[in-house]
Amino acid sequence: MRLLIATGGAPHSDLAVRVGAQIAERTRSNSTILVVIKREEDRSRMAAILSRAQQLLGKETSESQIKVRVGHPAEQIIREAEENNYDLVILGEKPSHDLVTRFMGSTVERVVEHAPCPVLVAKGKIGPLRRFLLCDSGVAEPTLLSRFMVRLAKLIEDKVDVTVLHVMSQMSAGPGVRGEQLRASAEELMQKHAPEGELLEQDIQTLKQLNLQPRPKVRHGLVVDEILAEAQSGDYDLVIIGAHQGKGWQRFLLDDLAHQIIVQADRPVLVVR
Amino acid sequence: MPPDQLDADSNAVISNSSLSPSRLVSFARTMRAIGARIRFDKLALFAISLFFFILAITLMKEGARSLTPLVRDTFAVTNAANSLGFGWLFAYVVMSGSPVAAAALTFFDAGAIDKLGAFAMITGSRLGASFIVIFIGFVYVLRGRDRATSLGMGLLSLSVTGTTYLVALAVGVTMLQMELVDWIQLQSGAFLNSITDLIFDPIVALFIEFLPRWLLFLVGLGIIMLSFSLFDRCLPQMTLKESQVGRMSRLVYRPWVMFGLGSLLTLISMSVSISLSILVPLSQRGFIRRENVIPYIMGANITTFIDTLLAAVLLDHPPAFTVVLVEMLSITLVSMVILATMYYHYERAMLGFVAWVTARKRNLALFMISIFVVPIILMRL
Repeated sequence: MRLLIATGGAPHSDLAVRVGAQIAERTRSNSTILVVIKREEDRSRMAAILSRAQQLLGKETSESQIKVRVGHPAEQIIREAEENNYDLVILGEKPSHDLVTRFMGSTVERVVEHAPCPVLVAKGKIGPLRRFLLCDSGVAEPTLLSRFMVRLAKLIEDKVDVTVLHVMSQMSAGPGVRGEQLRASAEELMQKHAPEGELLEQDIQTLKQLNLQPRPKVRHGLVVDEILAEAQSGDYDLVIIGAHQGKGWQRFLLDDLAHQIIVQADRPVLVVR
Repeated sequence: MPPDQLDADSNAVISNSSLSPSRLVSFARTMRAIGARIRFDKLALFAISLFFFILAITLMKEGARSLTPLVRDTFAVTNAANSLGFGWLFAYVVMSGSPVAAAALTFFDAGAIDKLGAFAMITGSRLGASFIVIFIGFVYVLRGRDRATSLGMGLLSLSVTGTTYLVALAVGVTMLQMELVDWIQLQSGAFLNSITDLIFDPIVALFIEFLPRWLLFLVGLGIIMLSFSLFDRCLPQMTLKESQVGRMSRLVYRPWVMFGLGSLLTLISMSVSISLSILVPLSQRGFIRRENVIPYIMGANITTFIDTLLAAVLLDHPPAFTVVLVEMLSITLVSMVILATMYYHYERAMLGFVAWVTARKRNLALFMISIFVVPIILMRL
């Protein structure tokens, strides 16, 4: 796996470096530390940023490549990801509540939207990445898990606890509709071969082939709220979601749930495309 | 244009318009195919329903004046609050909102209620109309079906309608008092009325000859309900199946997209209940995503007034047209402000309320009692 760890020296970037170090060590991956500074004049800060990153990376430092880019952080991260074939971009999320960021889009938002590979947004309390919450909507083809396996299979190779979550946000569209499945558990949906059950079954079988013991789970409610609630109640270390379908008409018609989850989550979020 | 250029242009036209026999055959085939697809029976039904609608409005207009003492003295509909309650309960009785909205305009035209009263009564008619889906759901609950499944959509529809319309009531009253949109009038209204008068005046004269005036209103009310029923039948079959729309029904759309879709489909169907029922077969299992429903209902609540707007035009009473226009504008304004600024919290509040009502029998009973008690209290104010 090839990792791109982006940092600008701020505290939120430290989280990205710490997560990156952990993944690099566990998956024995080649990591590249990308330091982005906004102006040439900021080069004086470079030494401090690199020193901080090296301190956080520890023994991984020697195997890491260091790159420096000058310009807008989002543009430079995306360009670096496009020019070199990375499997994962890792960056931190700068907490911001100002209106300009809300309208223009944050660095994380732009990188998640335009990066050619999966993006891990490091935020909240960072611990060992052992408990994964894989949120599969089943609407995208190929499935979230298939896309995840293409580049990131190493992440779940050993001793990880994976829960596959599907959120049913549907409600009955009319009084006469029988809605047993609107209250059913994952097991019931799998037994009845409902579309959601089939999706979970497929994911579970794929993960079992990797000698994992995945747990299927279904929650009923609003997609964003239920994913966030499950992430908290299950105290997962990493929430894995699909990217917003940002091509053609879908970009304008479909709601960007991935962005809402990233903004509201209190733990690392991996966005798979 | 110089003659030589004219000739050249004429030749160009001739050469463009000259069609080969194979093209003509293809054109004829296309026209035949289009002709085969046109449902003339539906078009005829549409014409009949429109005829009944205009006849009903004309009869109600004639009959409303003699009902003024009944409305003012017996039902004591004298202010905006009791007009709201009156419209609300009236919609329960006739199990529909549009006939009540039309009745409000005829009462206004006859002087039985004032501008604010008409506006409030129309608002009440929409609140009452939302009850119908709940009523059907309640029947399912009594037959043993799950509360949340049977009542969810109806409760959501009533909650969204109630919250947006009550805020819009305040906005609309302000707009009416400030006479902000009185200058907007449909110029072709008088021309349309001169045509309808020519056709319908002799028919109404016949009714007047045989029936007492007050009965004309009730006959008109019956005919308008018949016209809506016929109109529902002449709509094209809009029962799309999941297989026909692919995975579209399974996706979560931006709220503005669903808002536009709700407005558009209700504009075509002229009925919130029909545009909501279109959602049912979109998924084979009759499920729809929670995220998509609320903005859809908001959009539908605006264009559902299109038939009331037509009724206002037919009455040839500019202030009545203003009342309906203000109703549409105030609802649009309130819905757009919610969508743009507080949709996240609004959506959760509405869904939370629905969950609370369906969580326990006691909550449901409390809710059902309140939707009868509140309009009765309003009537007494």
